Amino acid sequence: MTAQRSILHVDMDAYYASIEQRDNPELRNKPVAVGGGSNRGVVAAASYEAREFGVRSALPMRDALRRCPDLIRVAPRMAHYKAVSEQVFDIFRDFTPTIEGLSLDEAFLDVSGSLALFGTDIAIATEIKRRIRDELNLTASVGVAQNKLVAKIASDLDKPDGLVVITESTVAQTLDPLPVRVLPGIGKETLKRLHAVGIHSISELRCAPNRKLEAIFGRFAQRTRDRASGIDDRTVARSSVDKSISAEETFSDDLVNANDMHRELLRLTERTSRRLRAKQITAGTIQLKIRVADFTTYTRQRPMHPPSNSTDALYEAGKELLNRWMTEHPGTRIRLLGVGGCDLGQTDQADLFAAQTSVEGSPLDQMADQIRDRFGDSSMARARSLNSD
Amino acid sequence: MKLSATRETLLKPLQAVMGVVERRQTMPILANVLLVARKGELSVTATDLEVELVASASVEVAADGEITVPGRKLLDICRALPEKAEIGISLVGDKVAVNSGRSKFSLMTLPASEYPTVEDISANQSIEVAQSDLLRLLEKTHFSMAQQDVRYYLNGLLLETGPKYLRAVATDGHRLALCQIAMDGAKLPEQQVIVPRKGVLELQRLLTGEGSVKLDLAANHIRLEVDGNRFTSKLIDGRFPEYDRVIPQEAENKLVADRETLRGALQRTAILSNEKYRGIRLMIRDGVVLLQAHNPEQEEAEEELEVSYDGDDLEIGFNVNYLLDALNAVESSEVVLSVVDGNSSCLLREPEKDDCKYVVMPMRL
Repeated sequence: MTAQRSILHVDMDAYYASIEQRDNPELRNKPVAVGGGSNRGVVAAASYEAREFGVRSALPMRDALRRCPDLIRVAPRMAHYKAVSEQVFDIFRDFTPTIEGLSLDEAFLDVSGSLALFGTDIAIATEIKRRIRDELNLTASVGVAQNKLVAKIASDLDKPDGLVVITESTVAQTLDPLPVRVLPGIGKETLKRLHAVGIHSISELRCAPNRKLEAIFGRFAQRTRDRASGIDDRTVARSSVDKSISAEETFSDDLVNANDMHRELLRLTERTSRRLRAKQITAGTIQLKIRVADFTTYTRQRPMHPPSNSTDALYEAGKELLNRWMTEHPGTRIRLLGVGGCDLGQTDQADLFAAQTSVEGSPLDQMADQIRDRFGDSSMARARSLNSD
Repeated sequence: MKLSATRETLLKPLQAVMGVVERRQTMPILANVLLVARKGELSVTATDLEVELVASASVEVAADGEITVPGRKLLDICRALPEKAEIGISLVGDKVAVNSGRSKFSLMTLPASEYPTVEDISANQSIEVAQSDLLRLLEKTHFSMAQQDVRYYLNGLLLETGPKYLRAVATDGHRLALCQIAMDGAKLPEQQVIVPRKGVLELQRLLTGEGSVKLDLAANHIRLEVDGNRFTSKLIDGRFPEYDRVIPQEAENKLVADRETLRGALQRTAILSNEKYRGIRLMIRDGVVLLQAHNPEQEEAEEELEVSYDGDDLEIGFNVNYLLDALNAVESSEVVLSVVDGNSSCLLREPEKDDCKYVVMPMRL
């Protein structure tokens, strides 16, 4: 057996619907369904108020409306949910780098290596829930256990806003009475066959004779019995990291002169590089996105040698790209500007001339980040990035 | 302007300079080469505003003159004509006519007066150096130059003159290469110039390794002539880092390995290192080095080789390419690695000589 692990399963409560209710006060405490524009669409997510009427995700919208005539339908805003998800995962990353995202609103976290830093797994779970509530005004249900299987079952036991801890000593008593369908891999058909041989609860499955299990599960019989006993050795597979990190802005007044363009470039670069530093990664390529008044969009990019997350280095490279673009398009006004880092990675290559180069960023950048984290984004800015008037 | 010559006579200067012409230019005229026909000689000039190359050839000149034409097109035309073909080039109106046998070409031109050339560079020092020595300096160091580094002064090669030496240093911040040649009898004033990357690569192409060459150094340019080809490069305006401070002292316990054996082992292990970061782990024990690499697919390579080493056990990670580059530059059958600990740089050199030094910074694995 591997060493004792601490796994969290974090599941956002009624994710899409909660975001809509959070962003639009008129939807609060009302049955809301996010989903398809027409009556032929299906429900992508339902608020808890709607669930009381039996409105569930994947239910055809027409049926949902029949069950709950007052249902408020909201068109999904996927880009927004994705952005919020990024914020949620940012919180996760403060506690562990080992995160396996299952979807926008659900992830496994292996916090075994973080216990020395944050105390118990329960403390981490509590803190994650608190930060999601305080910082994002959303709620999550968390399951804490020694493996992914049990953690996932646990997070579902006390929704919404739940925190369920299942330890080695409580795993049997917690799982045993639950219906077999909570186990992964037991679908409709298998369920029918299990019911046919009199197996309804997990304890019945766990204690069933071999021949019954083999008849249904074949060579997976033993694994099924393991699952019913709460045994699961699967590791938390770090999902592929971000492909790029960027910041962009559409300006209320088009940028006309080079000074203004450079100033905004610096501000956006600062935002991007700060996020890179927060994740302790460097960008191997910098990308510029420029949209002009007639909505034509240009992108320019160049490699960063060495990969960097330093505001200065990225700004110098970005400025070069911007200046070149300006010579190609003299006098063109800029409507939107974006600065992105991609080709992200973590090099731990030491540098000859910067003894303390590290993925955390230069000492100056780090200090500036700390000040901003503490006192807010506007607490400190580079003189060059300030508006002169 | 009107001249004629054989295909081979024209190809030589055109091919010599064409490497300078960038495929994408910032100014249209930089796609062109400058042709100057005067007194039985044709000179061809190419520039990218940083590096300028002038090559010439003896041709039959019926009328003096100068003009610029698209360089690559002219080269492609000459190349595509049959061997030994007689080619005539003449300015007709604002076009250049290229004629050979029954082939006729008409090329667009831009005025010669608009072509940016570098005239007198006002040299403040001239050094006479054997071509083979200069070539050696470049070959032993050029691979460590940075490429598009934001620290622009690293995107080139430092040439330094001292009382009795000429030295080349290149570094990309992760590794450094230094090579120097003794200039016995010469009392060179101390001077540092940074030759841009492209200039270094063109210069390597140009040098034949035979005879000697006069190196003119000025405040903003470096110039030299080889076989009738004149090379001029702008210098990078910046301060090269104090490289002396990052070359480590020799460790007490040095590791001595057979160069080919070490190189082979590194090359094999490298196959399964991370393609991007190229990390490889060296576990150095008494008389043995264990090499290890693995990649994101969890594939692993391990290799063990015997070396001479009796210092403390240590573990250190490197970008394997940096080690291989240095090993490729070393010529001796054995190589000396001086390593202190897993966080400090490694000094690599030939056993009996210290005119070339290679410093590689470690990688945390």
